[in-house]
Amino acid sequence: MAPLIEVHDLRFRYPLAKAPILDGLSLVIGEGERVAILAPNAAGKTTLARWLAGHLPDGALKAESGFVAMEGRNWSEWDVAERAAAIQFVGQVPSQQLSGCAFTVYEEIAFGPCNLALPEAEVRRRVDEAMVVCNLAHLANRDPFTLSGGEQQRLSIAAALAMHPRVLVLDEPTSNLDPESRDDLIAQIDKLPGGLTIIVLEVALRPSLALANRFLLLDGGRIVADGTAGEVLNDPRCIEALGMTSIAAAMAGLRDAGAWPGDKALPLTLAEARASLGVQHARG
Amino acid sequence: MLAVENVTFAYVEGSPVLSGIDFSASKGEVVAIVGRNGAGKSTLLRLLNGLYQPAEGRVVVDGLSTSDTPVHELAQHIGTVFQAPEQQIFNATIRGEIAFGPKQQGLSGEALDKRIAEVLQRIGLPDSGDEHPLDIDASARRLVAVGSVLAMQPPILLLDEPQRGLDKAAMQRLETIIAEEKARGTLVLLVCHDMDFVARRADRVLALARGVLSADKLTAEFFTDTALTEAAGVETPDVLSLSLDLGLPPCLTPTAFTQAYMTRRVGGT
Repeated sequence: MAPLIEVHDLRFRYPLAKAPILDGLSLVIGEGERVAILAPNAAGKTTLARWLAGHLPDGALKAESGFVAMEGRNWSEWDVAERAAAIQFVGQVPSQQLSGCAFTVYEEIAFGPCNLALPEAEVRRRVDEAMVVCNLAHLANRDPFTLSGGEQQRLSIAAALAMHPRVLVLDEPTSNLDPESRDDLIAQIDKLPGGLTIIVLEVALRPSLALANRFLLLDGGRIVADGTAGEVLNDPRCIEALGMTSIAAAMAGLRDAGAWPGDKALPLTLAEARASLGVQHARG
Repeated sequence: MLAVENVTFAYVEGSPVLSGIDFSASKGEVVAIVGRNGAGKSTLLRLLNGLYQPAEGRVVVDGLSTSDTPVHELAQHIGTVFQAPEQQIFNATIRGEIAFGPKQQGLSGEALDKRIAEVLQRIGLPDSGDEHPLDIDASARRLVAVGSVLAMQPPILLLDEPQRGLDKAAMQRLETIIAEEKARGTLVLLVCHDMDFVARRADRVLALARGVLSADKLTAEFFTDTALTEAAGVETPDVLSLSLDLGLPPCLTPTAFTQAYMTRRVGGT
């Protein structure tokens, strides 16, 4: 997989902070990868997301060392429009991401593509496509500020997708979504053409399992684990910081009681537990 | 403690978001409100705390009708932590944020200092009182919002997605706070999409679907009735599903699962 984004020895400290929040962090993400960066609170998850998305450096906020590059070019060399067409960031609070100058959901999604000066027909095509992916067509004429939290979260993702980015950085993307909306969104994203690279930053383990196939643990300003779900979620440092999925916790209880082999990996999901225990779905 | 009597509410006339909502809740209960995005969960919270008025019906909070009681007076009886804490924090220090509510209640001097110190301890920020609430991470900010409401000691607590974005330590802190509030007789209502959290903490589930109250059940009863969970668009907690797959009694927590599994194993059934 060709390297797409490279974080090299990034050391960053907020003004007045005693210690750097990112402390010599290095990371390479390849084109088309689905990466979940897991981190405990205050570990620098959102700060790293902003660096990955090119929102930092910004003004006085500069790295003490290192850089983030996309396709070999440092983000500081990209102009804003070029960067916005390449990578999109969806933050934790969707209402803070609304442009404030759109009266409808449709206009909100069109805001970004219009600012790229795309032809009107192309803007319409992109908005319609993003509304399908995020199940927003029935809300096209609603005022964005009157939507529920989950609907606003789908809208902020739709507005990002309409920019046709190559990389999507999502900070806790499904935390406001009901299960149907979450599964539907993941299925629709899976159907998008081209190798969209997705970087998800999460504190919750269960939703990240559906979105990613490579898992990283950010702690102490560095990436301390990098591997499959089984490797990273069973890492004691991950368990200490983020706990376990409810299924892993239940199976750990069986292990501690001597009813599950101590040397065997714990199932993380319901499907894995069913397979391991040889049971069928009891409820149709 | 809380009575919602046949309440209807619409943002746009003729298209009610909620219709005929009718339930009551008592001291010391932890009640989860669940449903799809846009089902009206946050709207219901705003009807409970008096920010919205029902088009029909009545909401009675701690003996006070929300239609006849000013919001600032209701706030002494029902505290709300909104989905985005950034939208309710406005003081320059965490201490100021925590102190604001009790000061409005007339608390001052040593009593106020003691209240603030207690709350800072409960939310895990005993030494951070002088920090700016927007300088701390998002999960700590969420706990500051919880603390600012706890500081008023309201008999009813509304929490909108309180578990969101919390790591293991912060989650344990929140769950401890909910357990402590339940023990002291506070009625806690929480809106939540995380069904593992609901299974661990809620005594009872209210489900909203298509604008009506589609279920009002004890937590285990709700999650074991697929017609109710499907109508509300919520998932059965994984551990409960696994316990049913194995023919065990419905287990709401990993600990309960382990106990049920081992009990059967030892019993040889």
